[in-house]
Amino acid sequence: MMREKPLLAVEALATFYGRAQILHGISFTCDAGETLVLLGRNGAGKSTTMKSVIGLVRPASGAIRFAGESIFAAEPHRISRLGLGYVPEERRIFAGLTVAENLDIGRQAPRPGLAPWTTARLYALFPNLAVARNRLAGQMSGGEQQMLAIARTLMGNPRLVLLDEPSEGLSPLIVEQMADAILALKAEGVGIVLAEQNLHFALRLADRAVVIEKGLAVWSGSITALAADEATRQRFLAVGVEA
Amino acid sequence: MPGADQILVALLTGLADAAALFFVASGLTVIFGVTRVVNFAHGSLTMLGAYCGWSLISRLPPTPLGFTLGALATMLVLAVIGAMMEIGLLRRVYRAPELFQLLATFGVVLMAEDIVQALWGVEDLALRRPPWLRAFVLVGGARFPRFDLFVIVLFPLIFLFLWLLFTRTRWGRLVRAATEDRDMVAALGVDQRLLFTSVFALGAALAGLGGVLALPDASANLGMDLTTVTDAFVVVVVGGLGSLSGAALASLLIGFLQAFGIMLVPKATLALVFVVMAVVLVLRPNGLLGRPPGRERASGETQAVVRPAPRALGLLGLGTLILALLAPFFLGPYALAIATEMLIAMLFAASLHFMMGPGGMASFGHAAWFGIGAYASAFAVRLLAAPMPLGLLVAPVAAAVMAALFGSFVVRLSGVYLAMLTLAFAEIAWAIAFQWVNVTGGDNGILGVWPASAFAGPRAFYWLTLLLTTLGTLWLRRILAAPFGYALRGVRDSRRRAEAIGVAVMPLQLTAFTLAGAAAGLAGGLYAYGKGSVFPTYISLGHSVDALLMVLLGGVGTISGPIVGALAYTGLYDVLLSVTGLWRLVLGAAIILLVLVFPEGIAGGVFRLWQRMRPA
Repeated sequence: MMREKPLLAVEALATFYGRAQILHGISFTCDAGETLVLLGRNGAGKSTTMKSVIGLVRPASGAIRFAGESIFAAEPHRISRLGLGYVPEERRIFAGLTVAENLDIGRQAPRPGLAPWTTARLYALFPNLAVARNRLAGQMSGGEQQMLAIARTLMGNPRLVLLDEPSEGLSPLIVEQMADAILALKAEGVGIVLAEQNLHFALRLADRAVVIEKGLAVWSGSITALAADEATRQRFLAVGVEA
Repeated sequence: MPGADQILVALLTGLADAAALFFVASGLTVIFGVTRVVNFAHGSLTMLGAYCGWSLISRLPPTPLGFTLGALATMLVLAVIGAMMEIGLLRRVYRAPELFQLLATFGVVLMAEDIVQALWGVEDLALRRPPWLRAFVLVGGARFPRFDLFVIVLFPLIFLFLWLLFTRTRWGRLVRAATEDRDMVAALGVDQRLLFTSVFALGAALAGLGGVLALPDASANLGMDLTTVTDAFVVVVVGGLGSLSGAALASLLIGFLQAFGIMLVPKATLALVFVVMAVVLVLRPNGLLGRPPGRERASGETQAVVRPAPRALGLLGLGTLILALLAPFFLGPYALAIATEMLIAMLFAASLHFMMGPGGMASFGHAAWFGIGAYASAFAVRLLAAPMPLGLLVAPVAAAVMAALFGSFVVRLSGVYLAMLTLAFAEIAWAIAFQWVNVTGGDNGILGVWPASAFAGPRAFYWLTLLLTTLGTLWLRRILAAPFGYALRGVRDSRRRAEAIGVAVMPLQLTAFTLAGAAAGLAGGLYAYGKGSVFPTYISLGHSVDALLMVLLGGVGTISGPIVGALAYTGLYDVLLSVTGLWRLVLGAAIILLVLVFPEGIAGGVFRLWQRMRPA
């Protein structure tokens, strides 16, 4: 029997901003129920990779396949409708809408094979949102906005979620909640591509890692291999792992 | 002092005016909120609504039911027209720079004028008024049209309808979300195209309603497109772009201002509204209920660096200049007069480009400085009997002084708000020229501004114009190539970063604004002498739009752009005028075609082709 193709496959992705080339060749795959982390320093190209995949930035060359279809340079709403969710680094919640209204914007039809997300389930996952459901999203704290951004994307019942630095700028307590939520997602069988600078967070959640440096995927392997590979971490991430 | 009855009638009149303003402005503000397109053609949609409404209602029974049916049918027709405009034109230019979307809507304005004229003729069309439309109610001792009471009642009803639509339906929530961040809405799986088309259809239907409801009290006429869109802009900007409640509030403010203004200061009504708008924008740069503009455009869309002209272009310019010098020897007086106008247009366009392209400050009222220069020359000649050199010196100086004065308010703003404040100042200047008849001659203008005898002949005046406009244009170009120009472009691309490295942003922009005003003033002075007269139309919105069209046609990103644009626009205008009565239709279509084919303007497009042909 042939091995089933990965849910998301990105190959030799190259992207420009104007004349400046940002991505020089990024390749990775991610399966359902798997968590892949894109690691790299600030400006390495993690966010641009995600924006290129979801279609917010038009990639110049390469190939992107999702659920058996090419989504290279496709329109964002079509990509999203296929079940690819995106949670941007800046969160981009709709500040003038209430929490409940924000969730409604993300709503899509249930997807076969996945237990559909409802507001009730999401409020259970993020209790803070339940309390604040009628408040304007712009009046919430950074951590709550991050939860809302994730919950809003989940309303679309994605098969795979691109999570851009969900731990950035959050207090340790909220980061813990975020990690729990990501593990819960994983347990549901959702594929997760995580962009991170926070190595601890990544080591805890991810199965595999791709290290990006100056727009190029320079290392890829299992998370245990990365934990063991001091040289790679030193060279590309410049942080050690305390024992 | 006005009596209580008068005040009550003024209140009701103000409410009726406010309602009429709101119908049009609400559509404009919703369209802007979602699509970020400043729809200059919104007034044209209102005009179309008035004409369509006239045709439909005239054919229906003259009853309230007939009128209502006609109004609803008109809204439907306009919704279809709006959707077609969005699908056929605007959808293709959402990713283009904002100014190009503006240019596209200008194209629609021009085409709509000729289409309406061709279908309905040049006469104003008033509705036959059956008794129920002529009925009055007595307010105290005064009479007030009953139809206007109906319009007043409709105001809160439409507001409530829109408010429920935007807060209680998923479509409305999507519209509000897209107003904040349309890319994110797309990334959540929402097809923006459907949303944008439906928003445009709704906005157009509301504009159409505004047009129909203007019929009983006024008439359908060809001038209403620009007057309506100017009023609607004022309301939308005062209320805050994209804010529905803001539009309602501003409609009330402007409606009452007009109603009481006529009662209290009848001679300054036109200026009054714009004075209030200027005051609001100075105090609250985002309008009464507006929020600061949301997410800036993604990086990578900064404009290309303007480099010194390549050698070939320099030679071409030199060749053209020599040709221009020799032109009087083989051109007749009529052609020479057109060539003179082209040169003046060139300087006018170059001055606007100076602040708009490298300066990043788009102006909807650049004709103000042109007109102030022209009037300054005219006053110098008529009041002081000044000789021509003095008259020509006064023009740029007066324009520069006024530009510096107004500019100190303008440079506090940016983007569309800045452009709207320039429009406000231009409209104030226009209103003064138009309404202060004792000094400016009003609509009759000032005549007898003839050049000195040495330059009275068309050839001599042409050479003088060639000398001054060329010097003026080169001077602007020289400034752009100096550190001042670099700093100016730096501010345009990133105000904060420029500030952080020590650029004094506001003084810099004010200087640029003043210099642009001076150059436009010189163009105006030359024009006054060339025509021998000045009129308020020199300051009109139409003239400001001419300058915008020239710059945008040529392309904002190149220095030669405005020169090419001015020559192309003036040339096209004169050629078309002599060939066809439908010159606006052809010009509008040409502009739309240009926007779709060359989104970076003529000069920019040619430059791109040239670069592509060159071996890498």
